[in-house]
Amino acid sequence: MLVTGIKSKPVYAPLRADIGGRYHLMLASGPGAAALLRVLGELQSSAPQAIGNTRVLMVPENSQAAAPFRRLRKLELSEFADTHALQGAFRKVLDESLMGTRLYVAGPESFIGLAMQIALEFDLNKDEIRAEEMGTLARRVYCVHCRTATEEVRTNIVRCTGCARWLLVRDHYSRRLAAYMGVMVDAEAPGELPAIKEVYL
Amino acid sequence: MSEDQTLPVEVTAIEQVTPLIKHFKLAALGGGALPAFSGGSHIIVVMRAATRIHRNPYSLLSSPQQLDRYEIGVRRMEESRGGSHFMHDQVKVGSRLEIAHPVNLFPLDKIARKHVLIAGGIGITPFLAHLDDLHDGRVPYEMHYSVRSPEHAAFLGRLEAREGGKVRLYCDSEGQAIDFDGLLSNQPLGTHIYICGPAGLIQRVTGTARSCGWPDSHVHWEQFAAPPVGDAFEVFLARARLTVHVPPDQSLLESIEAAGVEVPYLCRGGVCGFCQTRVLEVDGELLHNDHFLSDAERASAKSIMPCVSRARCKTLVLDL
Repeated sequence: MLVTGIKSKPVYAPLRADIGGRYHLMLASGPGAAALLRVLGELQSSAPQAIGNTRVLMVPENSQAAAPFRRLRKLELSEFADTHALQGAFRKVLDESLMGTRLYVAGPESFIGLAMQIALEFDLNKDEIRAEEMGTLARRVYCVHCRTATEEVRTNIVRCTGCARWLLVRDHYSRRLAAYMGVMVDAEAPGELPAIKEVYL
Repeated sequence: MSEDQTLPVEVTAIEQVTPLIKHFKLAALGGGALPAFSGGSHIIVVMRAATRIHRNPYSLLSSPQQLDRYEIGVRRMEESRGGSHFMHDQVKVGSRLEIAHPVNLFPLDKIARKHVLIAGGIGITPFLAHLDDLHDGRVPYEMHYSVRSPEHAAFLGRLEAREGGKVRLYCDSEGQAIDFDGLLSNQPLGTHIYICGPAGLIQRVTGTARSCGWPDSHVHWEQFAAPPVGDAFEVFLARARLTVHVPPDQSLLESIEAAGVEVPYLCRGGVCGFCQTRVLEVDGELLHNDHFLSDAERASAKSIMPCVSRARCKTLVLDL
């Protein structure tokens, strides 16, 4: 039932600084902060003046998480209470940004996906964006029947928050929708569900 | 592309628009619509001169919405191998030519948020067709057009009538130059830049773009290289079992074609990569003149673009 090896499933790599860029825009959620600190360290040693052209938008994991960023005095840092607030600010920053900007995103896959979705509106290409997955593998699942996205899905099968159908969570990923596709799992034999397991932790 | 895939056309108008550039209008022989094309496309014009056949690429400058004619601009090249001189001196209103179907190697990015177009001299031609698509104003753009002196500014009237203040003209003779650094340092995210003109202009803009942090995917350029003249050499075609002599003023591709062997091609200017041919053996040096192969591919000497590249060697064996 589940097709494996689907090419649309995103592949991520550890973040590296791209000193070919003139401006650096970095987003992190939760544990992603550690990846940004690593990139900032790289920038500091290879192109220290780049810190003054770097902006970080983050949702800190706890009250201590932003402290190491504050110590970089030339860095422009903005903290947000949740992903939604960060996304609004991110859109405004992109609208004012110039060509030559590199985007770095670190955090859970659903956070990366939503950031990429916004970046796509601004026609950022693959050679301008880097992303590293850190934290929960919980998926954003798009119901192909009622078009509702169900958030924070940890199981192979989930009840759609929009239409209450039982959905099989596929590996088929849409960059435009920033979600994995969910298709009704018991359409042929209503009520017959395979075992539900926690797989995306 | 074989001869039977060409379209016969008739020259319906010729205008000398600058001291060096002639503007040609071509219509399908017997009338009717020509094949549809998109802005940035070029055609190959086949010219049957007395002693040889020339096949040169020219950008279509007419509107993609008007298919009753194709329009091209031909600059008279000082060091012509004959093609541009043939167009300027031999072709008259009423002359018949053959052309290959339009191919687009220089399209605009469909999801760009802004376009910056930079033309040098005859490099204005593909942009004239692009501007037809940009005309509706959905995507902002600016156009920078650099020429030697005012009398060399081809099609300026046409640009100004349609585009108004969006076109900026720079004349070398007046000491005006494009401030590339200023231009490329202040573009919003999602901007794409397009350059068409002499090699020096393309190098300057692509170099400045890189130093301003532009990623390669937002920088586009087109330059048709004329096949350079060089020393004569010989090539052996392994599958055809033929030895072909390549004279100084004929390209490798032209010589192979003259020997009756067909090589698939699209641009004949070292841009598209369509005529890439496997090199089976070479004793000497390949002289790569294309814009397609990477440095690593050149160094490996495993393939060659016969449309513009040559060789300085004792033996060259191609997989043809």
